[in-house]
Amino acid sequence: MSITADDIWREFKAEADATGYGFTDQKEELAWLLEGLAANVERYGYPLCPCRMGAGDIAADRDIICPCDYRDPDLNEFGQCY
Amino acid sequence: MQKVEGEKKGHDVKIYALSTCMWCKKTKKLLDDNSVEYEFEDVDLLQGSEREDALSEIEKLNPKKTFPTIAVDGKGIIGFKEDELKEALGL
Repeated sequence: MSITADDIWREFKAEADATGYGFTDQKEELAWLLEGLAANVERYGYPLCPCRMGAGDIAADRDIICPCDYRDPDLNEFGQCY
Repeated sequence: MQKVEGEKKGHDVKIYALSTCMWCKKTKKLLDDNSVEYEFEDVDLLQGSEREDALSEIEKLNPKKTFPTIAVDGKGIIGFKEDELKEALGL
C-alpha cells in the first residue's frame, strides 16, 4: 500500500501537536512538503528530509530523517526548517 | 540539465534541485512566474556518474551541498533567497 501525503499529515501533525511544533500555514508549501516526505517514504522506507540528499541507508541518513537533527537550529536561526 | 524556456534570457541560470524539495519548487516557481529562462537538474532522480557529476558541480558553489543551489552567471545562491535571487536576476 502506498503512502500518501494525507498519511504523512496525520502522523506528523499528531507528533507536532504533542511536542509543541507547528506546520506552515502556507497551503501550497505544506502540500509540497507532505508530498516530498511521502515520496521519500516510498523511495527509502523512511521520511528522509525532502530537501536533503540521502545516502539511501537508514544508519547513514539518521541525522536527516524528519524531524531531523537540524530542525531546531534552523528554527532558531530562520524561524522555519530547511 | 532540463531547460525551461522563458522570455527573460539575460542570465545563465542553473538550479540544482531535488524533485521532493519544497524550497526547490518555490525557486522554480519564482522563475516561472517571472518568465525567466533557466535550466535545472533534479539531482535525486539522477543515477551513478550523472549524479556524481552534478554533486561535484554543486560542491564548487556550495561545499555543504544543500538544496537548492542556484548558479546565476556562475555565482552561487544557496537556498531559496527570494530577494537575493530577484536582485541577481534584475527582477
